Amino acid sequence: MENNVSDLIVGLMMAGFGLVGLFLVAGAADVEMYIFGICLSGFAVLFDLGLIKRYHDRRDESRATARGNTHV
Amino acid sequence: MSDHALAEPRVVYNDAVVKKFVVASLFWAIVAFLVGCYIAAELTWPALNLGLSFSNFGRLRPVHTSAAIFAFGGSALLGTSFYVVQRTCRARLFGGEALANFVFWGYQFFIVMAALSYVLGFSQSKEYAEPEWHLDLWLTVVWVCYLLIFLGTILKRSEPHIYVANWFYLAFIVTIAVLHIVNNAAIPISWYSAKSYSVYAGVQDALVQWWYGHNAVGFFLTAGFLGMMYYFIPKAAGRPVYSYRLSIVHFWTLIFLYIWAGPHHLHWTALPDWTQTVGMAFSIMLWMPSWGGMINGIMTLSGAWDKLRTDPGLRFSVTAVGFYGMSTFEGPVMSVREVNALSHYTDWTIGHVHSGALGWVAFIVFGSFYYLIPVLWNRKALYSVRLVAWHYWIATLGIVLYIVSMWVAGIMEGLMWRAYDKFGFLQYSFVESVVAIHPFFVIRLLGGVFFLIGGLMMVFNVFMTITSESTERPREPLIAPAMLAGA
Repeated sequence: MENNVSDLIVGLMMAGFGLVGLFLVAGAADVEMYIFGICLSGFAVLFDLGLIKRYHDRRDESRATARGNTHV
Repeated sequence: MSDHALAEPRVVYNDAVVKKFVVASLFWAIVAFLVGCYIAAELTWPALNLGLSFSNFGRLRPVHTSAAIFAFGGSALLGTSFYVVQRTCRARLFGGEALANFVFWGYQFFIVMAALSYVLGFSQSKEYAEPEWHLDLWLTVVWVCYLLIFLGTILKRSEPHIYVANWFYLAFIVTIAVLHIVNNAAIPISWYSAKSYSVYAGVQDALVQWWYGHNAVGFFLTAGFLGMMYYFIPKAAGRPVYSYRLSIVHFWTLIFLYIWAGPHHLHWTALPDWTQTVGMAFSIMLWMPSWGGMINGIMTLSGAWDKLRTDPGLRFSVTAVGFYGMSTFEGPVMSVREVNALSHYTDWTIGHVHSGALGWVAFIVFGSFYYLIPVLWNRKALYSVRLVAWHYWIATLGIVLYIVSMWVAGIMEGLMWRAYDKFGFLQYSFVESVVAIHPFFVIRLLGGVFFLIGGLMMVFNVFMTITSESTERPREPLIAPAMLAGA
């Protein structure tokens, strides 16, 4: 339960940072802000993909455990 | 163990994030030592600047300091604080896996982005606070999440008492947040530009910067690592803290006194004399808590001194406490206005910083990690204890070469800069002092290379500890439930 709530809040926060990164890239006035923006949006996408992967890993694990308990 | 304790469900700790921080810390240690050696070589042979903007000393120096302090030291602090707070509170980290992972990856992202910005030439030009405003905001978000996890774990603890190591870690987290936000208050020239200007000006800017700078030493490089000392030395020695009461006195006096000592960085400047004197007086008073803590750390080994012969990891920790005592003696001496007139702007300061950074910070991390790594990865022991001993001696030799050469170079520079001839003119030009200290720069580089070799030995040892079959714990024989029931 704690993990699901944490996933949701952190996932949304990262999605927001990803958008901020895109805005920074779009309007960048110097090379530093361009690089930071593009890296921020890339980091946010990768992090959220990681969250999705871990969510499914956990679900698969709990299903496997449930199957193991019923088929002795 | 009481029946009540037996009835309580077993807490499953979040060690995955701790492992990530440990690995990251070792990686950044090598980066920091390597860049340190390279810029030491640049100072010795300036042709190594290569005539390129991104490889010159001015840009690589903050890469070295940030990699050492924030990347190597910071990752070690965050990782061990997550380990210690879970064990001493008997509670899993607050906030779930995602938040802990965000703190880890967000912190690493900050480090990489900061290093990249230095190399590209973007800097606030504030020592230890070089990152520009957008990176400062990002670090603030990560740090608040870190505070949330640490504080949340303490609040949901199963243990009634908050162990003293957690007090030190918490002071480190809270104070760094305050220092970081206040010192980095700046107005960007545009939301889309990395360039910003500080909200402070003139001597106020300098005072705020050194209030931050000295407390970065006090709360990042001291308080946090004292948290590490108060947990890992008793664990490795198998003894309780020598005096728990002294540790509490150590904590409160250190917290109260450190915050006022910053102005000693601005002796003989436009800062009012009385402010300089306040900084100096509080720096001298800091002797008491620092040495109280040192005594407490060393005396924790009472009755277990023999372990120093067989456990080189513990030797690292105890030597670290010795260096802590030495550099917290040297610091107040250098804060005295008359001594500072000789030492300031010379390489004596660089030697002093490295006796703390290498002798105290790096050694306490090495000692803690040599204890922690087999525990975290569930290995029966380290791959090679002999290699730890080699690491200890080569790193110690490296530090000695480094700090002695810098003492000699620094005092020589200070004396040459203030020497007058019989006509009242300066006796030496600046470049003559540079030529005079050249041999000591070579010795300093040698010391750094020794320290780097020691670090590589540790990485190899840790890698083998985690992966080698020889360190695997013997598997416990499986016992069928029926056998247990019939026993």
